[in-house]
Amino acid sequence: MELFKPEIGLVFWMFIVFLLLLFVLGKYGWPAIIKSLDKRAALIDKGVEYAQNAKEQLDSAKAEAEKIIAEGQRRQDDILRDAEKMRTSIIEEAKAAASVEAKKVIDAAQLSIEQSRKESELQFRNEVSAFAINIAEKMVRKDMANDKAQADLVDKLLNEVEKKN
Amino acid sequence: MKRILTILMTLVMLLAVAPFALAQSEAGSADAQKTEAQGDNQINPKKIIFAHLGDTYGWELPFTHDVRLPLPIIVRGNDGSWRCFSSARLMNGAEYEGFKIASADDANYPSKVVEMVNGTEYRPLDLSITKDVLALIISALVVLACVFSLVRWYRRNPMKAPRKGVGIIEVITQFVYDGVIVCTLGDKAKKFGPYLLTVFFLILFMNLLGLCVIFPAGANLTGNIAITMFLAVCTFLLTNLFGTKHYWKDIFWPDVPLWLKFPIPIMPFIELFGIFTKPFALCVRLFANMMGGHMIVLVLTLLIFIFQATMNSMVVTGATTIVSVAFSLFMLLIDTLISFIQAYVFTMLSTLFISLAQEKGEKEQVIESK
Repeated sequence: MELFKPEIGLVFWMFIVFLLLLFVLGKYGWPAIIKSLDKRAALIDKGVEYAQNAKEQLDSAKAEAEKIIAEGQRRQDDILRDAEKMRTSIIEEAKAAASVEAKKVIDAAQLSIEQSRKESELQFRNEVSAFAINIAEKMVRKDMANDKAQADLVDKLLNEVEKKN
Repeated sequence: MKRILTILMTLVMLLAVAPFALAQSEAGSADAQKTEAQGDNQINPKKIIFAHLGDTYGWELPFTHDVRLPLPIIVRGNDGSWRCFSSARLMNGAEYEGFKIASADDANYPSKVVEMVNGTEYRPLDLSITKDVLALIISALVVLACVFSLVRWYRRNPMKAPRKGVGIIEVITQFVYDGVIVCTLGDKAKKFGPYLLTVFFLILFMNLLGLCVIFPAGANLTGNIAITMFLAVCTFLLTNLFGTKHYWKDIFWPDVPLWLKFPIPIMPFIELFGIFTKPFALCVRLFANMMGGHMIVLVLTLLIFIFQATMNSMVVTGATTIVSVAFSLFMLLIDTLISFIQAYVFTMLSTLFISLAQEKGEKEQVIESK
């Protein structure tokens, strides 16, 4: 069978072509390609490592930031609570001060009312006594004879007036 | 994608059927011619198939059957002198300086250049640039072009990944180098990598170019035993010339019970036999796969003509054409896959054989690790 007999000419040319190809590719082709591939792989590996580190740093920075934010929140809460406390205490104080002041005013008013009442009482009494003296004068003019009886009467009338008040 | 494939198939079938319909309509008028022609054009499938699978001295140009690209014939005649002349001088049985191409029916040297010395045929030392040799050179140039396009890309863009065509070369290179060679050979990858990669790419392109049926491709190179044998011998030499002491010890004094190797060396004999069967399997596997693929496509195509010759009915011929074209298209697609697989398998097994010969014994490994 022709197909199963290797032809010497083809083997000869295959030898030459293959060795030439192997020489050229082995010297200028494959080593350059493999070197480039290795270099690129190294670059990619480095890039991945770098990215991982960056991600870790970013994560830690994020955690840091969250911590700081939480701290700020806590402080804000404290400040707000303090302010609330201060506000209520100020209001309390103001209320206390106001009530003291009011009491003072009321006391003063009561005092003045008492005074004016006493004054008016005194005035009333003076007026009443003036009336009484007037009446007595009229009675005296009418009946000067019976002084004692008149005085008793005046006294009795005055007592009645006092009782009415 | 599916739709494109369907349209393509339909188109191919329509194109394939059309000439037959025309031929049939003319057949009636050319009845007298046909009876005459049948005597000459008796289809001999075996002859056609082997003519297509084998080597020739000229290269048939597409769309003709007679115009052949003349190729140089280089022979050393009986008198010891070298001759070089164009194959056009020997076409159609012509004789030139005592040389001629023997007929395809020749008993000793069918379709080969022979020298007539005193009336007897004599086969000269024939180093002609035949169709297969030219196809081999073209394949090698294609490999060179592909590899150097990648090298040039790296020189221009040192740290960028190539895209499209060059990207495919890179992907395949990496697939073979990282996936097979480095995995198996480890630190020896740099030493044997260039050979294995060259073998892979050369086989791949020879396979693929063999599937493109017209000039300047279409030679059945990897389906030629000379090519596969040469490659297998290369692997054989690399395996055994660079074999370690442990490798040879394992062959002649393997770690088996003494009775298996002492009085009668059964195991050493089997191991020694294995040295030769491994490359032989490499050679035959590639050869048979690629030749088989080509042969099936040829047979499927020939079916059309056989049915045409025997049945001579338009319906039968048309139906055969559709079926044949569909099947050969399918076979060619499978062959494309096989082209890649066979190149991969050859490289993988070569790597494996070489790496097995690189193995170190446990003792040596212990010493090295210390």
